[in-house]
Amino acid sequence: MLIFIIVRRLIFSIPTIIGIGTLAFMLGHLTPGDPAIAALGIDIEGYSNVDQAEVERVRKELGLDKPILVQYVSWLGNALVGEFGRSYVSSVPVAELVFEALPSTLLLMLVTMALAVIVGISLGIISAIYRGRWGDYLARLITIVGVSTPTFWFAIILMLLFAFVFPILPITGDITQHGLKAMILPSFTIALHPAALIARIMRSSMLEVLSQEMTRTATAKGLSPQRIYLVHAFRNAVNPVITVVGFQFANLLGGAVAVEFIFSLPGLGSLLIEGIYEKDILVIQGAVLVISVAFALSNLAVDILYMLIDPRIRL
Amino acid sequence: MKTDQLNSKSHNEIIPGKWARFVEGFRIFLSERLNAFSLGLTVFLILVAVFAPWIAPHPYDQVNPSYGMQPPSFEHLMGTDQAGRDILSRVLIGSRISLSIGLIAVIIGLFSGVLIGGFSGYFGGLIDEFVMRIVEIFMSVPGIVMALALVAVLGPSLPFIILALSIRRITQFARITRGAVLSVKQQDYVMACHGIGMSHIRIFFIHVLPNCAAPIIVLSSVMLGNVILTESTLSFLGMGIQEPTPSWGTMIAKGNEYLTFAPWVSVFPGLFLFLTMLAFNLLGDGLRDHLDPRGGNIV
Repeated sequence: MLIFIIVRRLIFSIPTIIGIGTLAFMLGHLTPGDPAIAALGIDIEGYSNVDQAEVERVRKELGLDKPILVQYVSWLGNALVGEFGRSYVSSVPVAELVFEALPSTLLLMLVTMALAVIVGISLGIISAIYRGRWGDYLARLITIVGVSTPTFWFAIILMLLFAFVFPILPITGDITQHGLKAMILPSFTIALHPAALIARIMRSSMLEVLSQEMTRTATAKGLSPQRIYLVHAFRNAVNPVITVVGFQFANLLGGAVAVEFIFSLPGLGSLLIEGIYEKDILVIQGAVLVISVAFALSNLAVDILYMLIDPRIRL
Repeated sequence: MKTDQLNSKSHNEIIPGKWARFVEGFRIFLSERLNAFSLGLTVFLILVAVFAPWIAPHPYDQVNPSYGMQPPSFEHLMGTDQAGRDILSRVLIGSRISLSIGLIAVIIGLFSGVLIGGFSGYFGGLIDEFVMRIVEIFMSVPGIVMALALVAVLGPSLPFIILALSIRRITQFARITRGAVLSVKQQDYVMACHGIGMSHIRIFFIHVLPNCAAPIIVLSSVMLGNVILTESTLSFLGMGIQEPTPSWGTMIAKGNEYLTFAPWVSVFPGLFLFLTMLAFNLLGDGLRDHLDPRGGNIV
């Protein structure tokens, strides 16, 4: 039966993905003025100096001479097969740019998430075990400071500390130049928020489990505290954390945008921001679409994963 | 649940009036030291923002190129920037701008979101299905990506920045309100309202919506911090508030260029941004524990 539920959930996500495509399509048509000129990357002020033949060519190429509904359907069809047009700056297909940027972002997210999960879960467990004592207060202080620190500012502070004051880490996040070492600063920066959130959820979930009777039974039958905490309580407390990890995975995509740019890490976030600076509409559309679909898919993956782990949640 | 807790002391006495219950609830809220701290910090930051032009030791736009990049001193407590402008004064005026943008965006999100989500949840059916699909689509675009793309396309002027910041809030408020309305509308007293023939409008605004206030209040506090952060990130990337208007994000971005020899240019504005986020996050946490003790995971 589980397979049917998963298939149903997959089908339900199709309208969402089409909706995201619609949003991205609308983005290109929100530009004040002619989308063909916008696709050429020219400001409205420069309208009169534009080569009309060039504009006409772009208009034809993008199909802007057709009715909007036709444009929409063909854009969506093209987007589905990964055809987003060409960047006007480099005249490289946008799909190629996205494809080149994707591995950096994915690697960054994986490293970040691993870091956030390890740090977050450890802090949460420490907090729960030492409830009401200094260990708890320290862990909770770290989490509230972590949640409240502006990511892009934290990136600058880390850069200042570890690339200038103590020059032990590379300032850019380009792994082709510096290897995995380049991932340390960016991933620490982005991991701050999710780690703090995971720590909170882990703490409250762990406290709930520790107050249950099974914990008393375990103590009564003489298990060591380590075994109770790390095996019995942990296993029962970790479920809510998995949901949070999933949602955070999606949030990381947003958090990574500014940080990738600061550390000049050649990922999707940098691609988006460079597209914005160059007014490269098609690159912006492509990047927004890919980031958002990835976001929606990772939420979907979490839902399915959660159904597999916890049979009670089968909606 | 809420009223039980508030009335526990006085349950043999006459039931206190609304105002007395509010004061009593407020007293309980403040008895937690962390809540008193976060409320104090919030009030302090708001006062600073309101009175910034009178507190600021120097005019925020007074340029003095020969006195640029000065480290913190008694004359300039946070030093000066590349144009010799006093950073403290700019940070203070910047707090005015950040807080008002945050407030406007949250108010827009609050009113539209609560109405959309509330009606959607109250009437249910196809409209609800449709509205929730739209909300889900908007929630799939990370907040900063949505804001960046919108501002990039429309241009970084104040109305568009506020629009870009509020769209996501609308969906967030809509989702929270819908959830709350769904659980409230099944209560017996709402059935009773229907039974005595009250109009939907009256039931919705007088009997359902006020009982959904707790999660909405909590979300407002968290969102304020969130919007201010997003605005700063936009400004940091050059897509938000433009020079010469002071904004924490632009100041941090400028300082980033001089990081190695004048770190104070970006450190101090960031510190203020951090304090603001801390205040609203702590306040949100405190309010959640106080108003909505069981709904911890909805925001």
